[in-house]
Order: sequence, then structure tokens, then C-alpha cells
Amino acid sequence: MELLLQQTVNALSLGGVYAMLALGLAIVFSIVRLINFAHGEIMTFGGYGIFLSLVFGFPPVAALIIGLAAAVVMALAMERTAFRAMRGADVVSLLITSFAVSEILKVLFQNGISARPVPITFPASWSGTYQVGDITFGVVPTVSILVTLAALAGLTFLLRRTVSGMAMRAAAEDIEMLRLLGIRANRVVAVAFALSGLLAGIAAVIWTAQRGSVDPMMGFFPVLKAFIATVLGGLGSLGGAVLGGFAIGIVEVLAQAFLPETLAPYRDAIVLAAVIAALLWRPDGLLPAAKTSRS
Amino acid sequence: MKLKFAFLAAASAAAITGTAVADEYVIGVMSAQSGYLAPYDGPAYAGFQFCIDEKNAAGGLNGNLKVKTIVKDTRSDIAEGVKVVQEMIDEGAQFIVSSADADPTIAAAQITMADNIPTMTFAGTAPVLTQVGPHVFGSYPADNQQGAVLASYARDQGLERVWLVKSPDSAYTLGGPEYFGSAFESLGGEVIGESLYSLNQPDFSAIVTNIKAADPAPDVIVTWAWEPDFPAFIKALRGAGVETQVMGGDVLDTPTVRGLGEVVDGVVHTSGGFPDEGSAYADFIARFEKATGTTPDNNYYVNGCDIANMIEQAVAAAGSTDPAAVSAAMAEIKDGEGVMSNFTFAGTDRMPLRDVVVAGITADGKKEFILRSTADPETLPKP
Repeated sequence: MELLLQQTVNALSLGGVYAMLALGLAIVFSIVRLINFAHGEIMTFGGYGIFLSLVFGFPPVAALIIGLAAAVVMALAMERTAFRAMRGADVVSLLITSFAVSEILKVLFQNGISARPVPITFPASWSGTYQVGDITFGVVPTVSILVTLAALAGLTFLLRRTVSGMAMRAAAEDIEMLRLLGIRANRVVAVAFALSGLLAGIAAVIWTAQRGSVDPMMGFFPVLKAFIATVLGGLGSLGGAVLGGFAIGIVEVLAQAFLPETLAPYRDAIVLAAVIAALLWRPDGLLPAAKTSRS
Repeated sequence: MKLKFAFLAAASAAAITGTAVADEYVIGVMSAQSGYLAPYDGPAYAGFQFCIDEKNAAGGLNGNLKVKTIVKDTRSDIAEGVKVVQEMIDEGAQFIVSSADADPTIAAAQITMADNIPTMTFAGTAPVLTQVGPHVFGSYPADNQQGAVLASYARDQGLERVWLVKSPDSAYTLGGPEYFGSAFESLGGEVIGESLYSLNQPDFSAIVTNIKAADPAPDVIVTWAWEPDFPAFIKALRGAGVETQVMGGDVLDTPTVRGLGEVVDGVVHTSGGFPDEGSAYADFIARFEKATGTTPDNNYYVNGCDIANMIEQAVAAAGSTDPAAVSAAMAEIKDGEGVMSNFTFAGTDRMPLRDVVVAGITADGKKEFILRSTADPETLPKP
């Protein structure tokens, strides 16, 4: 029972990070039809923001805020320099552009900062444990679940109750119609990128607090999983992205925890087979968007 | 047209008889400048080139054979590595120094096999890598030597039950803990559990929870995980309140791992060498620092330099630059003089027998010398 409870916390913690990254991908995709594979590099840049702030002697809390800001700035810069020029291009051209941006940034990180991982040390009290009855929980996984829930709640409020949010949802439905109504599309797209950057920044904070280092490839693997999560949830569906993120995280952790040793090497294959099975059952994803886009 | 033909004929003749007429020794170097091998190939190449430059300034290998290096980037990609090795052979390479891992070295060795071109890995430590053929050599103390020395230290500390954390994704991350386990068991210890992870695994909390729930609890956890997996693992382990002793391979001997703060306090790892005051190693660091402004902060630099020393001694012993003769001479070197440590290929399967250092990490992020020992070839776990 204790083991199951602890593994559930682990699963929700990992699922939360995937959910945030998947949501960042989905927000941008729903509006400009771009699957942004450079999303991982936004996360990595946030991580380097934290690292450099600590190196320059900022207190840890300030470093986290700088990390978040760095991710937002990177997302906006990416939109302005690479993706705005490609607005309206077909999905494949946009995809290839995002791969190019991703590769360029990885090489810049490698040569400009370091090819090796760099350490990030937060105060020891941040990575302690606490007891509930007989069960010990880690502070970082718990905080990461709370932060994920808070971020998702904040985003839901923003999308449902603010003008910018409504404009974004409207843009996701029909960006041409939005333009005709006199809303500045560039601004809506920029806000969408800024939000996806913020989510990547929060993911970077949780990731570095859990993993203790940043390297040029840091964002690549989680974003790959997040991409699978958005497809599983339904491409372009925000709720689907969150659900997909949690689903992948939970299946991954449970497979790691409970698969017998002989099957352990097939863990990733089993997780992906489960995703394929889910897509065969619901080809448009678990929670399809109103205007469906199959992968 | 005639001129062109004559030029082509001359070029082909030079290519065919390249080794015979060479007044310089051509060494091809695979060096990943990006990707997962860059952190190891980069320093190893810097140390190698530094010592080759020093030797060239003094007249070349053994004072009379200038060295020309051809360096090509592999981007840590095995297919790219195979391609660049072929290119370097086409450009006349008589010796190949391959990337710092078993898998790219094995791939390179398949290409160099036809011409018997000696192939030495920058820092690959999986003993299986030399099984490709008699022209393949390790340079760093192999995983089974490291595992045996570390297991013997762990038993001396009274540790009895080990939990192994390994990844089947690379020969290093799989082999290291297994060699440790086999040596540990032969010394009376017990392997009570194992966990498998994938390289770049996002999350280690599930593994940590399983270790925490183990009954009886292990008194030592051993992993050959590298960055960024090791930092993620140790953060998750200590974050879950597990304070069990952790031990690992030489890949933990990096400033990144030492920079992780309190979570790595007391972690013990193997290492290829330690720069004691007044040693040849300390002198190498001083010379390198003076010449380049960079402080070698890991053993890959000095091991790169030792590869230059190994090649020099093999060429001297062979009395020729013929690839097969150099390979044969290398395999017979006994107690060759190195900077990190001396090396013996004779009697081994071409993974050199060298000293293994056991070191610990202190709370303030320093490396502390614990012991230096050579594994007993008779009791080494077999690949």
C-alpha cells in the first residue's frame, strides 16, 4: 500500500511535467498548426537561465524567476525570428523549421556554454522529505505536483475568463475570422508562445530541481514524450494534452515500478504499444479537439 | 589530359605505397564534438594533441618520426563514425584513435580490421571492445578492473548487500555494475536486487522507491550511470530520504558530479589516476595549464596524453610503422611508462592492466584519495 502510494506520487509528479510541456505544445499547435520540436530547447534555455543566475550569485528564488523569464523570452524570440516568417506555411514546413531551430540552439548551447551537463545546486532543505503517518514523501515531487496543478488552474482561468484567453481560443477555432473581427493576430500568437514558454520554464524549474543538472539535450527527451502525449490526448486539444501528459507519466512510472525484471528492457516499447492501442481505439485522441487533426 | 593522367597515376602510387614512403606517422582521430560523447572525446583529444605537439616539437615520436593527425567529428553518431574512419584510412591514417566508448570503437574496428590498422579507444572501458580482433586496444583501466578494485574496497569496509542500478543501453552502464556484483559475490558479498534504467531516463523516483522498499535493505548501491542520469538518480535517492552508501564507476569523476552539493557527499567512485604532488600527472597538469590556460579537471586529458605515449612506445618496439607490426608490438608492452599510470598489455586481452584509484567526494565538492590498487589478473571477472 505504502509502495503504491509513493509510486502514485512519483507518477503524478512526472505526469505533471509532461502535461505542462504537452500543454505548451498544444497551445501553439492549436493556433498556428506548428508542432514545435524546439519547445525542448525553450525548457533547456530556462534551465541555463537558472544555472547562470546561480553562477552570478543570485539567490535561488531569484534564479528560478530568471529561469522562467529566460524561457518566456526564448519562446517569444523564436516566434519572432523563425516562425512568424513561416506563418501560413504547411505543417511539414513548420515542423522542419522547428527541427532546424532545435538543432541550432542545441549546437549553440554545446559550444557557447558546455557540452557536458552543468550542476545546479539548490538549498538542501528544498530536496528533503516529510512524513505522513509511516510514509515518507519527497518535497520536490510533492511541490512539483502542486505547482503543476496551480499552473493548470491559472491557465484555465486565463483561457476562459480573460480577453486574451478568449482571443486565443477563438484563434484556435478560426484565426482568419479572428482577424476579420479586428483582433491583432500577431499579438494573440505572441501571447500563445509566451504562455508555452512560461509552461516550459516551469517544467525547467521542476526538472532541474529533481535532476540537479542542465545539459544541451535536457529538453529533448521530455518534449518527445510530451509530443506523444499531445497525440494521445488529441492534437490541438488543450484538455487532451494535459490528460495525455498524465497518462504517459503514470504508465511510465508504473511500468518502471512493477514490471518483472525480465520485461524491464521492453518498458518503453510497452508504453508506446499502449499508446498505439489507445489510438487504435480512439484515433482522434482521448479528448479530441473540436476541429480534429489526426497525427 | 596527359598531365591529368600522370597526376592521377602518381597520386594512386603514393596512396598504395603510402606507408612505405612516409616520413611522418599519420594518426586518425575520431572525436565527437557534439552529442553524448563530446564531454569525453573533447578532453581526451585535447590531452592527446597536446602531448603529440610536445613530441613533435622534440623531433617527433622517439625523437625522429613526426606525427600528423587527421581529426574528424563524429557527432557521437556511430554511422558517421564509420564514415570518418573510412575517410581517414583513405587519407593514409596508420593508426586510429577512436571515440571514448565501446560501441563506436567496435564499429570503427570493423573498418580497420581489413588493413590491420591498430585502433585504440580514447577511454572506452568495456572489456568486450577488444574482442573484435588483435588490432583493437583499450587505454583506460577496464570496467572489470575497476569493478574488482571497488568491490574489494567495499568488502573491506564491511559492506555485505549490494543493489545494482544498470542500463542495458550501453556496454559501460551494464557491464560495470555486473563486474562489481560478480567480484563482490566472489568475496562473500551478496547482490540483493537490481534495477534497470534507460539512458536519459526522465525519472528515477520509481527505482528509488523500489530500493527504499527492499527488505533487507542494501548497505551499498552501485551504478555506472553517467551524466545526466547519475545526478538525476542521486537527487531522487537522497530526496526520498535514502542515505545508503553509493558507489560508481570512473565516470563520476567529474566537476559536474562534484558540484551537486550535499547529495554527493560520501559518494565513492573509481578513477584512472590521481595527481599526487610531485607526480608526473601533476607535472602534466601544470604544463597543460601553462600552454592552454585550461585546467585539466578530469582524467580523460591525461589518458589522451598516455595514448600518445603508448603509440610512441609501440612504434619504438616495432621498429617500423607497419600497422600489423605496431599492433603486435603494442600487445607485448610490459610496464610501459605512462603519465596517469604505467600500463601492461602483455598477458591481457589488450585492455591494459593499470592502477585503479578509489576516491571519495567530500561535502565541499572535493575529490579525496582513498587508495590505489591494481586488479589481480587471475581473479578478474571475465567479459
